[in-house]
Amino acid sequence: MSVETFSGWLYETPFSTALRDTDWVIPTVQTIHILAIGVVFGSALISDLRLAGVLATQETPATVVRRYLPWMWTALVVLLLTGLLMVLAEPGRTLGNVVFWSKMALVLLAFALTLFFRKPLLDPAFQAEHARWRKATKPAAWLSLAVWVTVIFCGRWIAYA
Amino acid sequence: MTLDILLQQIYDSQLSAAIRENNNAFPWIESFHVLAIVAVFGTISVVDLRLLGYRSHRRGARQLIVDLLPFTWGAFALAVATGLLMFASNAVAYAHNAQFQWKMLAILAAGLNMLFFHLTAHRRIVDWDEDLPPPRAARIAGATSLALWILVIFLGRWIGFTLSIFG
Repeated sequence: MSVETFSGWLYETPFSTALRDTDWVIPTVQTIHILAIGVVFGSALISDLRLAGVLATQETPATVVRRYLPWMWTALVVLLLTGLLMVLAEPGRTLGNVVFWSKMALVLLAFALTLFFRKPLLDPAFQAEHARWRKATKPAAWLSLAVWVTVIFCGRWIAYA
Repeated sequence: MTLDILLQQIYDSQLSAAIRENNNAFPWIESFHVLAIVAVFGTISVVDLRLLGYRSHRRGARQLIVDLLPFTWGAFALAVATGLLMFASNAVAYAHNAQFQWKMLAILAAGLNMLFFHLTAHRRIVDWDEDLPPPRAARIAGATSLALWILVIFLGRWIGFTLSIFG
């Protein structure tokens, strides 16, 4: 079965049809999606700028990361769920769309960067200054920010690709 | 000159025509608008939540506001600039769109709420800087701001569903 037949089948399912036929559903789901991106981006901005040594340098990176990481995980779950609803409602717009799949790959990269460079900081015994990858922390923080910005741009361009 | 004539003149301007005629212009402007909105909401919600009593990366509310306000303002300026470009591309239709009108009122209300906060509770911030939860006036300002910005984003998204592009 090709992606196209699968999208066509999904599009015809009662659930997908119901999502499209109730006119407040898609705008509301998209609004929640944007709000959750706001939470992820705000958290990433503050944490990455701290890891890059630009913002709130009097506070330890662990203090900053501890405050924002849980919000980021929660918002990511909300993003996945609302994103899934949008795919279910309009599979043809996303599943065969190269911008959509690029966005997914970039989300995975941002997720991996967050997991690798921030999660260890939650452990009080972890000493960032002795980590083998400490030299990579700053470039990784800037990369993470750039990836999130690209993810946001891809999200808007899905509609035009 | 009535407002509609002015709006029509904006629509007829070279800049508006250029945005309409270049297929990539509108999506690029929208992309920067979304980035700006997300940065406004992402940073202001951290301050609002602190005003509501949620801990932040700073012990005090004053330093948190000092940390984040430049980002909020910078992002807001980008949102206004990109918003004006989108408005110009279809001025008459936006001006007559109910969701757009409500959105502008909601932004105005958010601005007044912030102004009121800065003229009242923020003046005495040294007295409650590290208090958790902060005084009632600060909590109300935070809750109002959060609710209004969520409303602004919701209305903005609704414009896209009620206004046909370059209709």
